[in-house]
Amino acid sequence: MTAKAPMNLRRLLIGSAVFRLALILYGEWQDAHMEVRYTDVDYLVFSDAASLMASGSSPYKRTTYRYSPLLAFLLLPNSVLHRSWGKFIFSASDLLVGYFIYKILKQRKVAEDLCLYSVMVWLLNPFTFTIGTRGNCEPIVCAMILWILICLMNGKIIQAAVWYGLVVHFRIYPIIYSLPIILVLNPRYIQLGKKPLLVNWKSNAHRPSSQSGMEASTRYNLWTAAKSMFSKERVLFGLVSGGIFFLCTGLFFHLYQWEFLNEALLYHLTRADPRHNFSVYFYHIYLQYGRQLSLVEKLISFLPQSIVQLVLISTFAQDLPFCFFLQTVAFVAFNKVITAQYFVWFFCLLPLILPWSDMKLKWEGLGCVGLWMGAQLHWLLWGYLLEFKGQNVFLQLWMASLVFLLANASVMAVFIRLQRFSPIFLQIKVSDSKSGVKSQ
Amino acid sequence: MRIIGWICWRWKMGIIWKFFFCCCFIVVTLSIYGDCLSLEDCILKSYFSKNEVLTDSSFQDLLQDELSKFSCKLLPGDPNPQLTLSGLERRLIGEGSHRHLSSTIQLQVPPQSFPLQSCKLVMIERLPSGVFADPFELDHLFHHGAYAGIGVFGDTNLELPSVSSNRSAVEIHMNFEHSISSGAMSELGIRIDLPLHARYAPLHESGYSEVAFGTPDLLVSCSMEGSSGMRSCLIVPSHDSNRLRTDVVWKIPCGIMSHTNVVSVVTFATAFVSTLVIVFASVLYPKPR
Repeated sequence: MTAKAPMNLRRLLIGSAVFRLALILYGEWQDAHMEVRYTDVDYLVFSDAASLMASGSSPYKRTTYRYSPLLAFLLLPNSVLHRSWGKFIFSASDLLVGYFIYKILKQRKVAEDLCLYSVMVWLLNPFTFTIGTRGNCEPIVCAMILWILICLMNGKIIQAAVWYGLVVHFRIYPIIYSLPIILVLNPRYIQLGKKPLLVNWKSNAHRPSSQSGMEASTRYNLWTAAKSMFSKERVLFGLVSGGIFFLCTGLFFHLYQWEFLNEALLYHLTRADPRHNFSVYFYHIYLQYGRQLSLVEKLISFLPQSIVQLVLISTFAQDLPFCFFLQTVAFVAFNKVITAQYFVWFFCLLPLILPWSDMKLKWEGLGCVGLWMGAQLHWLLWGYLLEFKGQNVFLQLWMASLVFLLANASVMAVFIRLQRFSPIFLQIKVSDSKSGVKSQ
Repeated sequence: MRIIGWICWRWKMGIIWKFFFCCCFIVVTLSIYGDCLSLEDCILKSYFSKNEVLTDSSFQDLLQDELSKFSCKLLPGDPNPQLTLSGLERRLIGEGSHRHLSSTIQLQVPPQSFPLQSCKLVMIERLPSGVFADPFELDHLFHHGAYAGIGVFGDTNLELPSVSSNRSAVEIHMNFEHSISSGAMSELGIRIDLPLHARYAPLHESGYSEVAFGTPDLLVSCSMEGSSGMRSCLIVPSHDSNRLRTDVVWKIPCGIMSHTNVVSVVTFATAFVSTLVIVFASVLYPKPR
């Protein structure tokens, strides 16, 4: 079994790679021979921005380029080698995510077959293989998030901080993970220079976790609590990740001035698109467009997202992958703009939590999939009638977006109810912390 | 010597890389505007170099200036070459927010006096507020040979609703390819398809906003022998307005103002209900035994 297992992962990765290569080649054919392109419009934006950068111009001269200059830099070979270079990079990142999922689960001693099924949930997901092969850059972000998890699991706090600063610069939304990461960098669980003890899959099923940790916390006085809040691990993580973020921001501001700041950062923070999308807020934004919103109205739209994020963090931070997953689903569902590419942000985290879920495929699993996909298809139907048939179905489309939000909330509630809480780290005993025990 | 050789090799590679990058950049830049390099570049380029916003009256003034500066008459007093616009039919093809504006143009040309090979049709479509052309889509079509040249000018922001955007205009150059001679006259037919997209329209109680297209400006641009060598010139075909069918109206669905209060209240109520579902699920979550 042990000798055969690596071959199965290898076969899975090779098969996925060949399939993605075939899709990229098919995409080239479709782009050349059919009016409707296979390639995402965003990929053409990245490529044009890369060409501009290659000639010494600002990538922001390309309208609708709203990403870090790092992305244009990565795609420089599009102009020199082949226009599909970027698609190969994104698909390779997609395969890397599959490998990282396997590595994370293996490190937590998840059974081999469960590891492979979890990897398949990512590699065989139609969203996943189309997004990279069509030229969307999200797989790179997913790979970085999982690598940060791997670094934390191996006690490499500084490396995790560097990658975290970089990923927040690249895509902003991972800022929502800052608080749970800081919370989990508790010196009782993880210390600088030492590999932390992980709660593995088998052990969690049979022993109560965190009880001793919770008892220990009641013995802490205020001084100890304050000291641990500003522990060197947390301070270092904050300083290094913040330093990397501001270094990147400062460098690109120096190169590209306000164009960079407006397009790559401020646009995403203030974006309120009146055009139809999955968000419940789209019709409200369209009807209110051009009108100055009062402070109360702005706060009301901000509150649901904030409340949900804070509650999820305070409840699930210790189970870091599960916390990341729930936070990402909630962040996407309550956002003012939702496009299909955002779903990949939590699809890459779903395989990390499945081994700890009591959800059975029949019928809870299929029910969740059916509810979520059904709500999406329902929205897409009205969206099609509006955009491609020119019918005024704004009200129906908006109601479909309400149903989609409720479906997301319901699926989250089911996941929460059926998830076995599993903190990622075990508490270090005082004597163990001195000897630096590496694993459980 | 080896170090010098390595340095020279790196220097040569640097030049080669820069050459390739420059070529790519030139290709990217030209491809967006196509063949608009005659007639002091495109007419619209001249217009937008002096004006920020497209208005019909100021465009007509500029057009008159261009016509008088670049007339095809050899000498003052020479008659203009005779060109007649014998038919113009316009249709909006498709449904929804993405359609094609199809213009079928018929021209009558006296073959003996007219150097057709050195001429092309110039159509300037001044788009009404509420629709836009995607420059990148047109660039893709240009590379598939749909046009001899094309350029989009004005407000080409693809994302803004019409209340926040200005008008744009498209200049299309088409080669004359087919002609049917009948006696002294040649009949030329050209069909031009322009893909257009609807912006989000201002709110209206009827639920639809109507966008009406005007008549395009049709010119013929030719290269002719002048006193100081080859030069470009412009001809405006004469036409009988009764034979031109140009009424095109696009009905675009729009939001309804009276929905505002209900939509706002129900949106936020649903967001809060969803919040409560997640909060209760988290609060009631069975913590470790």
